[in-house]
Amino acid sequence: MLKMWYFYKSDSFLKGVRRLFPILFLGLWIFPYSACEKDDICVEGDTPLLVIGFFDVEDTITPKAVPSLRITLPDLENTLVNTFSDRSSTLDSIGIPLNTQTTSTRFTFITNSADDAEMVETGNQDILDFTYTTRERFVSRACGFVANYADLDTVRTVNAEEDWIKRITIVDTLIERSNGIHVKIFH
Amino acid sequence: MSKYSISIFVCCLALVCRGQDITDTSEPRDSIESKNAFGLRLGVDLSRQARPLWDDQYSGIEFVGDFRLTEQWWLAAEVGNEERTREETIEQSVLYTYTTSGSYLKIGGDYNTYGNWYGMQNQIHIGGRYAFSTLSQTLDNYRLFNSNRLFSPDEFAVGSTEGITYENLNASWLEVVMGVKAELFANIYIGISARLAHLITTKEPDNFRNLWIPGFNKVTENAKWGVGYNYTISYFLPLYKKAKKPRPEPKTVEE
Repeated sequence: MLKMWYFYKSDSFLKGVRRLFPILFLGLWIFPYSACEKDDICVEGDTPLLVIGFFDVEDTITPKAVPSLRITLPDLENTLVNTFSDRSSTLDSIGIPLNTQTTSTRFTFITNSADDAEMVETGNQDILDFTYTTRERFVSRACGFVANYADLDTVRTVNAEEDWIKRITIVDTLIERSNGIHVKIFH
Repeated sequence: MSKYSISIFVCCLALVCRGQDITDTSEPRDSIESKNAFGLRLGVDLSRQARPLWDDQYSGIEFVGDFRLTEQWWLAAEVGNEERTREETIEQSVLYTYTTSGSYLKIGGDYNTYGNWYGMQNQIHIGGRYAFSTLSQTLDNYRLFNSNRLFSPDEFAVGSTEGITYENLNASWLEVVMGVKAELFANIYIGISARLAHLITTKEPDNFRNLWIPGFNKVTENAKWGVGYNYTISYFLPLYKKAKKPRPEPKTVEE
């Protein structure tokens, strides 16, 4: 037994261990960097939509859906606004995107939208301009920056006889979220 | 300036222990009493030097130093400078690109848990650090995230392409360190350590965040935990020797 102990303390054994030790832990070389990269998902924020509620012009607290509603962008070859189903008749509130690169966005609001035989729009078309200022806000690592809007206002040429939109009220001039009505349209 | 003051501080660690005599080292191998070498160990992190080989968005250097206080305790410090650029994307669309650069200093202690055999000077250590970093961030460019793509069908709308630099940012944190150091040749050591850090304070820019901090690495959302590692090669400068405390005799099995 004693002999065994002397072997442990012998030079040759110690040299062996001393050589072995660094090799053993060379194997521990790892690259944690690849394991720690993000797999974050953006849930914290988004660029908000302008939320419009449609109300009865007579009974101003009653929501009233627009029959066959269509909204297009006259400055963008009449592209359809893509946030709701086109020519829907059941919506009393909608969210529409604003252009973050400009300080105003023009929309054509069409009620009773339909096409005739020559594919020409037969609905009542009202043109609305929304003006605003853009604020850029950092949300989180995964979402980055979003735009918020402030100083919201609206401009339109009023033609009382033909317009289907009778009155517009700005409820909130600051747009940070898409979950409450910013603008009320009475018709 | 801060990076120089940190370097000077580490160099001053060496001055503290000047003037000690190196005693005679000839010691019979059989003697029960053996001697421990005390001194200063200085080295460099190889992983930070090597990382630019596979990551061209990164450059950095870290110097490490530790000084043996007692048989088991070492005063330890790391000082470094790092720069890193990162592009954050969402489903292949670029959100923003930012560059972080800065210096850091970590000071603390290591406790050696490894009982060496005669003549060995290896370490399996656990320890702690207090760390401080001064940094600047440049938001190279950013786009505005918008899940509605009506006005920007291909890429997100541009927010800014001109770099915005935020200076005079800082952070401080505490670290738990676990590592191994092994003597490769006489007085030449290689070491590896893994670190878990917890952010205490951070001075962030308005409308942006310290998403990455030199010495700390990625700052996770809300939780404020950081992980890191280094892989060092260092030289031990023996300054004096002290007799090792006698260890209990090994038990031999009675026949």
